[in-house]
Amino acid sequence: MSEITTEMSAPQATPAVSARKSSRRTETRKTKKDQTIYGVAILGLTIVFGIYLTTVSATLGIFWLTGIAFGFILRRSNFCFTASMRDPIMTGSTTLTRAVLIALGITSIGFAALQYSASFFGLPIPGMGFVVPISFATVAGAVLFGTGMVLAGGCASGTLMRIGEGYGMQLLSIVFFVIGSFWAARDMGWWTLNFISNGPRIHLPEILSWGGAITVQLIVIASLYFLALKWENRKQES
Amino acid sequence: MAEVELDCLGEACPIPLIKTENKLKELTVGDTLIVIIDHSCALKNVPEWARKHKHIVEVEELGDGEYEIFIEKTS
Amino acid sequence: MDIKNHKVYKSLFKNPWSYVTGAILLSVFQIITMAATDGAWGVVGPFAVWAAWVYEAVGGSVGKWYFFNLEGTRTALEGTFFSDPSSIRNLGLAFGALLATLLASQFKFKKIKNLRQAAAAIIGGLLMGYGSRIAFGCNIGAFYSGISVLSVSGWVFAVFMYVGAFFGSRLLVKYFM
Repeated sequence: MSEITTEMSAPQATPAVSARKSSRRTETRKTKKDQTIYGVAILGLTIVFGIYLTTVSATLGIFWLTGIAFGFILRRSNFCFTASMRDPIMTGSTTLTRAVLIALGITSIGFAALQYSASFFGLPIPGMGFVVPISFATVAGAVLFGTGMVLAGGCASGTLMRIGEGYGMQLLSIVFFVIGSFWAARDMGWWTLNFISNGPRIHLPEILSWGGAITVQLIVIASLYFLALKWENRKQES
Repeated sequence: MAEVELDCLGEACPIPLIKTENKLKELTVGDTLIVIIDHSCALKNVPEWARKHKHIVEVEELGDGEYEIFIEKTS
Repeated sequence: MDIKNHKVYKSLFKNPWSYVTGAILLSVFQIITMAATDGAWGVVGPFAVWAAWVYEAVGGSVGKWYFFNLEGTRTALEGTFFSDPSSIRNLGLAFGALLATLLASQFKFKKIKNLRQAAAAIIGGLLMGYGSRIAFGCNIGAFYSGISVLSVSGWVFAVFMYVGAFFGSRLLVKYFM
């Protein structure tokens, strides 16, 4: 009996399926390689490199550690931002969409707390670099990005994660991702002059106050969550 | 009681799932579809979809990131 | 003792985590990132700089480009890959995924299957690259982090990324399947 089969299979599986499966197993079975040793080697390398980076600069060490954590988490949970946007359209499943909404909710609360305490003590508010101008460039860029991620089968973090998993397709896709980014960098003066420079930067707390901003934010996220749930049920019935 | 194999090796999401849906439509109740995949996301969304539609699902790991998903059509 | 069949080992390294577990842990590390670095998680920021290094190595020059004269990009351009925190984080992301894959014994190099898949990767990559540059980020920097720092830009990005995903899905089914 293969080790992990049991946990992942449906408990209600009938003997019919199992019987067929076992008759096939002999012919298709491969020798299963244990790769743990390579994993441990990479772990060692990761730690050594992390220590080296930290001695150069603590900031580099933190970025390395968080990068490893994000990659590990994305891979272990098969988290996929692309699927969260695509699956509701293509298959009607919103499991990932709802998981992304949960992430948005928790992170918003955490960020709001950090931002509010900074502003309370009169310190510069962190994360304001991510409050970017809203213009036609945002709209066009988001549409292009959304289209591209579905075609390439992964967004930016997904592409990096899948390179780590060994996908040739994403290795090719990242090369053109970088080229695309460079191409846009060349046109950036034009985009800035015509659109971005006129775009407003809107931080919700400025227009709604801190309490109002987080309340509105969480209400919107919760509404989307229930909408996603209803959408899935509707799609599943049809 | 046919047994049909669907080779999705090397296919990125969501193609394995769409192929599975289409293939399963062609089959009759009681048939088994064996989807062979090597995409970690398909390992999650194909069984999830099939279970939601009340089919009988079993997953077997072949090793090196390849899996067979057995789906017995029930409706 | 068989450590690999221990249930803690299995739940850490072998059995897939639920999406919700993923969501909670990603949030935890986003908050750590914000607390420690005063910025949120982003991915695509350094991409154009990587290309610029290659371009300059083969004799090109980006010295006159508006984008590379912005303060942040200028600094990154003058440094190296290993002195740029965002580049290091991206490298870490790929390594973290590799680590998780190996510890679960699931690694296999997957070749590109056919021309159609290569075309999808190339076109998709270019669109993502261009789009994320002009919109100041991808689904992480502009969407996930953008929304979470309470910026309206994140919500605008979300709506139109969804529109793009709709087009993408249609194109994928029509031409790339």
